[in-house]
Amino acid sequence: MANEITRQNNSGLFSGESVLDILKLIFAGAPLSEILTIIARLVEAQGNGIFCTIWLLNEDGRYLHCAAAPGLPGFAAHVDRMSVGPKGASCGTAVYRKEPVYVTDILSDSIWDDYRHLVSPYGIRAAWARPVLSSEGKVLGTFAILYREVRSPGTADLQLIENASHIVGIAIERQMKEEALAKARSDLAHVGRVTSLGALTASIAHEVNQPLSGIITNASTCLRMLAADPPNVEGAIETARRTIRDANRASDVITRLRALFVKKDAAIEAVDLNEATREVIALSSCDLQRSRVTLRSELADDLPPVAGDRVQLQQVILNLLRNASDAMRSVEDRPRRLVIRTQRDEDDSVRLTVTDAGAGIEPQALDRLFDAFYTTKSDGMGIGLSVSRSIIEQHRGRLWAAANDDGPGATFSFSIPSASERITGAQHLTRSM
Amino acid sequence: MVMHPLVSVVDDDQSVRESLPDLLREFGLSVAVFSSAEEFLASDSIGQTQCLILDIAMPGMSGPDLQRELILRRQKVPVVFITALKDETVGPRLLKQGAVACLLKPFSETALIDAINVALRMK
Repeated sequence: MANEITRQNNSGLFSGESVLDILKLIFAGAPLSEILTIIARLVEAQGNGIFCTIWLLNEDGRYLHCAAAPGLPGFAAHVDRMSVGPKGASCGTAVYRKEPVYVTDILSDSIWDDYRHLVSPYGIRAAWARPVLSSEGKVLGTFAILYREVRSPGTADLQLIENASHIVGIAIERQMKEEALAKARSDLAHVGRVTSLGALTASIAHEVNQPLSGIITNASTCLRMLAADPPNVEGAIETARRTIRDANRASDVITRLRALFVKKDAAIEAVDLNEATREVIALSSCDLQRSRVTLRSELADDLPPVAGDRVQLQQVILNLLRNASDAMRSVEDRPRRLVIRTQRDEDDSVRLTVTDAGAGIEPQALDRLFDAFYTTKSDGMGIGLSVSRSIIEQHRGRLWAAANDDGPGATFSFSIPSASERITGAQHLTRSM
Repeated sequence: MVMHPLVSVVDDDQSVRESLPDLLREFGLSVAVFSSAEEFLASDSIGQTQCLILDIAMPGMSGPDLQRELILRRQKVPVVFITALKDETVGPRLLKQGAVACLLKPFSETALIDAINVALRMK
């Protein structure tokens, strides 16, 4: 058999080095469609007349979508999807039965009745499909080999299909884990916005003390109005009403803050701000892409380390990036460009700036920007910048905002002393955090 | 207390602007209310105000800014600061600059009466 795939000793397909190359791609985070196409091409390169298709099962498990069919131009668009069921051609039936389905001739096999017309333009006769399983045995999709001749698989073919299915399974599972991880990261980052409890105490106190003040004043007034001769009942009712309203206001604040949890003590270490920034960028890249924001980073290479809590500083950077991205949400008439920059500042400080091309900042809002609970976002708590400023101030630095003078948008910057500047400062920080 | 001396309240917080004047009137005082320092400066109440109850943190001109502005204008208005922000360093500094008192929200009726009485004796 001229076309039968023969196993080679060490460089054979889906053994040894070729597997390693594909695994490297998978774990380097290459896009799934790219990896699946490479795998399919490798299979097709094994002989003449072999076509490889790879199918992904959709979330509800009812359909298979063609994810790769490099040797059959237009096939994926033409066939689009297959239903999972007892008559779902080779792939749909393989998922339905949870076992490989090797059809030697699709013209004579009844499981192909509903799909024969779809593949006839491609002259397909034999179709061998194997379910792709996750490490827990869940069906993720199918791996299939097609021929334009009547044909049944040989031992080497079966081995190839099995090996390739495993690799495809790893690739799909890896992608799913990446997605789950990205979601967990984004949830964590959201919680991370409000984790610095120490910094928040002042904000909470402020926000609760305002209505408490109203409650006490109103209640005092109410008592006086009732004790008067004759008692001012109407006035007393009004002040009692206001008392209840302010009490509700205080209770709302508590409800908003319920999600908080206590963060462990700050860990002071020498932090490479560039590296910390790169990590945050990597963490945010998905979100930024989704928001169609292009990010340019200009990180100075002569940056001295700073002494501080790496995670807290990253929270600040993340918060600034998120704000910048959010500020450009409604921008449609110009690129949503975001620039993050690090540089050496005067007096041995290190500065980080985040510049967006968003709506900018109203002059009257500049004053309130860093107030707790001040927000221009419909879905924001308004404590991100307030917490960020507290964190930067605890690092003996400062955080400020300015409108861009060379175009629309705003620039947020912080500057903190470099580590050499503050050997004693680090001790101070440890105590105060 | 003197008959109907004028107390001005400057606070950006609406619940304070609603509740405090009623209580002050119960004390037998006249009250003028302003939502910002700028509004107070633009009013004709400055000269008559015998006690200014002033919030510290406000958007735009802050309470301490207003206090400095009054000193520059040689307006001797006794100031009672009120604030919801607990900062141990702010109170003493403001008292040093001539404030009568610095009350932390929420403050008691007694503390308020005491502070106002000191202010009224000064004027």
